[in-house]
Amino acid sequence: MQEQDYIQFDTYLSGNLDAESVQIFEDRLTSDAEFKRAFDDFKQAERFLEHQFNNEEKTQSFKGNLEQISSGYFKKEAAPEAKAIRIKPWYYSVAAAVILLFGVVIAQQFSNPTYDDFANYGTISLTVRGAENDLKAKAEKAFNQKDYRDAEKHLSQLLQNDQDNIELQLYKAVCLVELNKYEEADALYQKVIQSPSVYTSKAKWYLALSKLKQKEKVESIQVLKSVPEDAEDFDSAQELLRKLE
Amino acid sequence: MNHNKSHEDQKYIEGLKQNNSFVIQSIYEKFAPKVINYIKQNSGDEDRAKDVIQETLITIYNQAHEKDLQLTCPFDAYFFLLCKRKWLNQLKKSDNKGVTINEELLSNDDDALELSFETTLFEQQHELFEEMFQKLGPSCKNLLKATFKIKSMEEVAKSIGVTYAYARKKKSLCIGQLTKMVQSSPNYQYLKP
Repeated sequence: MQEQDYIQFDTYLSGNLDAESVQIFEDRLTSDAEFKRAFDDFKQAERFLEHQFNNEEKTQSFKGNLEQISSGYFKKEAAPEAKAIRIKPWYYSVAAAVILLFGVVIAQQFSNPTYDDFANYGTISLTVRGAENDLKAKAEKAFNQKDYRDAEKHLSQLLQNDQDNIELQLYKAVCLVELNKYEEADALYQKVIQSPSVYTSKAKWYLALSKLKQKEKVESIQVLKSVPEDAEDFDSAQELLRKLE
Repeated sequence: MNHNKSHEDQKYIEGLKQNNSFVIQSIYEKFAPKVINYIKQNSGDEDRAKDVIQETLITIYNQAHEKDLQLTCPFDAYFFLLCKRKWLNQLKKSDNKGVTINEELLSNDDDALELSFETTLFEQQHELFEEMFQKLGPSCKNLLKATFKIKSMEEVAKSIGVTYAYARKKKSLCIGQLTKMVQSSPNYQYLKP
């Protein structure tokens, strides 16, 4: 192609050829294969340059973005377990809250021990398999589900027919502490402690917890000191004692 | 090629063209595993697969911009064919024992095969243009860069201190020179369909 041809390609493409020249130009495109091929390649060169330089920044950011997504994807591929447990952004705030909570709990343990830290009454068992008393089953179930209001109600009913049952008294006292009825609870604990039974030590430990919940530190310490060494809760009692003193 | 009916998967082409992170991410999630598996099973590894996928996506991006690529087949088949061919070509280059690429076995989707050939061809042309542009003289290079960056020929003329008419003429001749160089390259004859 001659210089003139390239100038004509550009003039034609920019729409600056007059109608007559356009006709001649287009006729030549259909009749002259080499001319047509040169024109097509010229157009392709122009589009190449257009994309190369006009989109230079766009292309750079595309490549950067692609590299980032690709690296992220392949890192995940390399560690499939990370893929399974992908952490959603809000989990981080939950994690932060949990950490904060731990911090608070730990701080509290070093300063003021709380009732909730130590109050662990476990589950009780009042019924014998095969010989289930409805009321006992209900009391047991409520207590174990930490529904102390219902448990207290059922236990009181049971005590009406079995008023000297130390075990029931102990559990009722626990319910009363949970329901913040301290006077009644403490009186009941005292009663259990006074009566000779296997529940004496337990009652002492529970009474100390009741005092702790009432923030009666001195009284709590006093009761804790009375928990005998052979008691099931001796270690817990000593721990609480250390923190209170 | 029937450019009038584009496939619903055209959204992937458009997403790449617009640098849409969400679309790019979903291309990786949906289509990369098959490619990775293939490359791993054919003497490659994950790093090589990563490069092949990235290069292929850049080519599609370029073709979407330069040639207004229209997808006429599922993206899955098209993308897989491109990656596969790119990988086999790389193997062939590095291994003189010779790898035979049996294209018939690659796909039974004619549209995907045809379109993927078009894209592979485009990629080679694009590389040839890049190579030849670098061989232009500095005055042509600078003028063309300025022309396609600035857009206004008046400003371009002013910036390089020539008249408008001269800048226009020079631009035509520089593109002409690039065209000529590409056409006379030994690779050119292989690039025409």
